[in-house]
Amino acid sequence: MAPKHQDADSAIRDTDNDAALARLSAVKRGYLVDPFVNYFVQRAHLQPPRPPLINHGTFIRSAAIDDIVFQWLELSKQTGQKCQIVSLGAGSDTRFWRIATSDEHAVLAGYIELDFPEITTKKAMTIMKNKSLNSVFDPAQCTLSHGGTALHSPVYHLLPCDLRLPPTEGLGKLLTLPTTSPGDASIEPVLSPSLPTLLLFECVLAYMTPEASSAMLGWFIDYFRESGVLGCMVYEMFGLNDTFGRVMMNNLKSRNISLPGAEPYTTVESLKKRLHDVGFTTCNALTLRDIRRNYVDPKELVRVSQLEMLDEVEELDLILGHYAVSWGLERGKEERWAGWGLKKKDDVI
Amino acid sequence: MGAWWGEKGRVGLRLRLGVLGRLFICFRFRQIEQLQRCEPISEEQVKRLCLKAREILIEEGNVQVVDSPVTICGDIHGQFFDLMELFRVGGFCPETNYLFMGDFVDRGFYSVETFLLLLALKVRYPERITLIRGNHESRQITQVYGFYDECQRKYGSSNVWRWCCEVFDYLALGAIVDGRVFCVHGGLSPNLQSIDQIRAIDRKQEVPHDGPMCDLLWSDPDDIQGWGLSPRGAGFLFGADITKAFAHHNATDLIARAHQLAMEGYKHMFDQTIVTVWSAPNYCYRCGNVASILELDEHLGQEYKVFSSAPLDVRSVPAKRPPADYFL
Repeated sequence: MAPKHQDADSAIRDTDNDAALARLSAVKRGYLVDPFVNYFVQRAHLQPPRPPLINHGTFIRSAAIDDIVFQWLELSKQTGQKCQIVSLGAGSDTRFWRIATSDEHAVLAGYIELDFPEITTKKAMTIMKNKSLNSVFDPAQCTLSHGGTALHSPVYHLLPCDLRLPPTEGLGKLLTLPTTSPGDASIEPVLSPSLPTLLLFECVLAYMTPEASSAMLGWFIDYFRESGVLGCMVYEMFGLNDTFGRVMMNNLKSRNISLPGAEPYTTVESLKKRLHDVGFTTCNALTLRDIRRNYVDPKELVRVSQLEMLDEVEELDLILGHYAVSWGLERGKEERWAGWGLKKKDDVI
Repeated sequence: MGAWWGEKGRVGLRLRLGVLGRLFICFRFRQIEQLQRCEPISEEQVKRLCLKAREILIEEGNVQVVDSPVTICGDIHGQFFDLMELFRVGGFCPETNYLFMGDFVDRGFYSVETFLLLLALKVRYPERITLIRGNHESRQITQVYGFYDECQRKYGSSNVWRWCCEVFDYLALGAIVDGRVFCVHGGLSPNLQSIDQIRAIDRKQEVPHDGPMCDLLWSDPDDIQGWGLSPRGAGFLFGADITKAFAHHNATDLIARAHQLAMEGYKHMFDQTIVTVWSAPNYCYRCGNVASILELDEHLGQEYKVFSSAPLDVRSVPAKRPPADYFL
């Protein structure tokens, strides 16, 4: 059994490479700006571009999630608080560096990434070796721990974790550890329970059982129950109970990937309900297809439509209709957070 | 061999062909057999096949005149084994007359074998099979969507791609069956009211970025009034009013076109004045759709035959198959 389990995990870990290559391709083709992505892809200059459809979808996904994240930072700023972001199954994501080099960096109290140790080890090494990456924090305050599988800095933490473990054994233990940066004598845990905190799940819950992801989301709800504002953004495939979905599951099976956490969610409503059931009070979900139509800056859409000839509009709609961004908020009595979430672009003045 | 040797109307030709000509036809027949096994033919054979195809296609009109009965097919996109499935469902050529509405290449794993087989059939049975041009039969598009790379991979140079592109330039832009069913890959153009205007186009060129020739290959019907901008960045959207006016003006009953994925294999619009026929099942090995062909009988009665992708035998997917593209 053990080797089989390992194989399945390595297949899941490999999906990070898909995401990184897709992002790299979208950057090379001018859909996205990301000066950091090429540091996380081996032989980045030799990677062939992905098809226009994948580039386009990567752009829509990225635009929507960026919108949600930067609104969070902006709201923190407006409410005069610093905030935290926890990226679960972060893989080789570059979001921290994009925020750290943006105007919003000062509002970030903590940015925590969790993933399989195989992935965090590689990422920690990449960060330590690369000046463009480690110069955003004071190198003197940057340490490796857990045998090189974890990296700590005053703001950024990279932690090794199998998210499928019960939270009290896995991520709960890591996130409540006292911070260990040299010269930092505080006994504050890595994850403060009192700051507004946004959880990011980009294609993560789909690979876990619904029970494991409910337990994890429930742990966060409990942790912030007393005093915090907690937001959650989930991006992944859903609605796989049709012919497209069946083909997708078959194709992924040949790569040894199964999607136990996507199969039960067949509608946008069921995605909202998942977040509601674990304790988020305000819950929303939109397909990437709807996001492309109404929630992306039309000027940006025109710009990217000119980058490459996108031939198959029906196919794009079919695929984007099987991915969704859902977000949930538990804000207690914090009224000002009520407006957080994607908004129709023609509603924005 | 009997099937073609005994074919009606060919006897006179056979007498005049002499030994060399007979050898040539025999050779051509073996080529078809080889391609039907999905085995690529040699570069030299491709060159000769393309030259011969050009000689035949150059004689065809922009709007090729076709007689019923005929079976109309939509996009194939290099899905060779699904094309074999199509022939199993619709009958093989020349027993069944075929009209393919373009997009033979790109996206699938076997654009080379697919296009060369259709071309070999065209050369062998020019009266039995009609090929019209799709928007993917273009130098620019094939360099993005796979055919160029496939030729490079299978032949180690771009020669085959170049010769095929030269053939693309000679493909008809449309066809008309019994004067009543107008067939085109994409749709209509605001610059073309009549089929005769299409006949006046100089088609022997790369597909332009705009203008009537481009529109025929790129446009889509849509639930709008009049004309609209296409989200594809080429061609136009056209409404029921435009479609019906065209039918009235040209005394046609139906526009058959391809170009858009139809999950159920075909899709009627505008009170059945236009139909989309889609012949690539499980498009891109990802979409989960069924495909169809449209059989027009001698009275132009329509029968749609729906089919699914070829059973997954070992040959239908290359061993080192590129991973299906998803956002993971």
